[in-house]
Amino acid sequence: MTLEADNPPDCSPPDWTVRQERGSAFAMRAAVWLALRLRRRVSRLFLAPACLYFLLSSPRARAASRDYLGRVLARKPGWTDSFRQFHAFASVVLDRIFLLNNQNRLFDIHIEGEDIVRSLAERHEGCLLFGAHLGSFEVLRTLGRAQPDIKVSMVMYEDNARKTNAALNAINPSLALDVIALGRPHSLITISQRLNEGHFCGVLADRNPGGDELRRLPFLGEQAAFPEGPFRMALLLKHPVILMFGLYCGGNRYQIHFETLQGQTVDEMMAGYAWRLEHYCRSAPYNWFNFYKFWE
Amino acid sequence: MTDPTQQSEDEARLAALIVKSLNLESDPAAIDPQAPLYGEGLGLDSIDMLEISLAVSQAYGVKLKSDDKGNATIFASLRALNTHIQDLRQA
Repeated sequence: MTLEADNPPDCSPPDWTVRQERGSAFAMRAAVWLALRLRRRVSRLFLAPACLYFLLSSPRARAASRDYLGRVLARKPGWTDSFRQFHAFASVVLDRIFLLNNQNRLFDIHIEGEDIVRSLAERHEGCLLFGAHLGSFEVLRTLGRAQPDIKVSMVMYEDNARKTNAALNAINPSLALDVIALGRPHSLITISQRLNEGHFCGVLADRNPGGDELRRLPFLGEQAAFPEGPFRMALLLKHPVILMFGLYCGGNRYQIHFETLQGQTVDEMMAGYAWRLEHYCRSAPYNWFNFYKFWE
Repeated sequence: MTDPTQQSEDEARLAALIVKSLNLESDPAAIDPQAPLYGEGLGLDSIDMLEISLAVSQAYGVKLKSDDKGNATIFASLRALNTHIQDLRQA
């Protein structure tokens, strides 16, 4: 997951993510260089003014934030609520730089359900890790410290895969993250092979990448469209599906939650996914990083 | 000179396997052996391709690997896929 992958291809993205995407590889490298020199504590001082600027200059992201926060908080959200959400997003993006440069010791990370992944790793059994644009997917990397045998591949759309690789190159060129691009004839055959080799394949299953069949599910009180593709794929691949949410809890604290996603049909799995996603949205409301109109 | 739009015997067998494994409505004999399987043409997606590869490994005992050379070309058409399978079987 990178900042650049946060842009839903089928909706016009908020202007501030576009602006970030236009940032050249040089600017990205410069920011990474600066953040690593200044260290986390000092770098974080820049987050608040940046968030304030984006909050004032991005009416669409702001509207999407208020729409979401009104649902999850069940009250009228104020400016400070949106600011907290933007600030959490900026923090997670910044922390990727440190997480990807092996500075795990900076963070206080609590893992729930680690036994689920440990037993899979011990059996060398691959699984699908279903996450969402909720909190940080990168904290998953810290798991490698406890479970060095785990190999993680990220499954993403081609356009995002290309941008992700560019961002990873800027952050830490020595990273060997396997990105499997979707949208090619053999994409799923590749995923199937990786799973058989014991890889954990990460999928962010909350966004419609375009072209996929959608299914409307109750989510935070109203129907929202979720893509069927990841769930059809999961049924066919017959490997366990583990839900993974890396929630940012403020300061230097993260909580990783692993849960098994049950279900014999696409319907059951999707209902289970939306239900758990809703649960984690309520437990960490400012971690929602879909800054576009999620409910139509 | 044979008509290039006609299915060979092997191609007809593969076409029947594809239609059956994907529960397609179309008549296997009506699949143009030169038309693309993926995207335009038959309109199949990569999930369908995985199903085809599973059906092929069961029926023919060969594995379609994603790192095989000419990945894009294997699924280019019924004919290309059949040729690839026949090559694997002889290897």
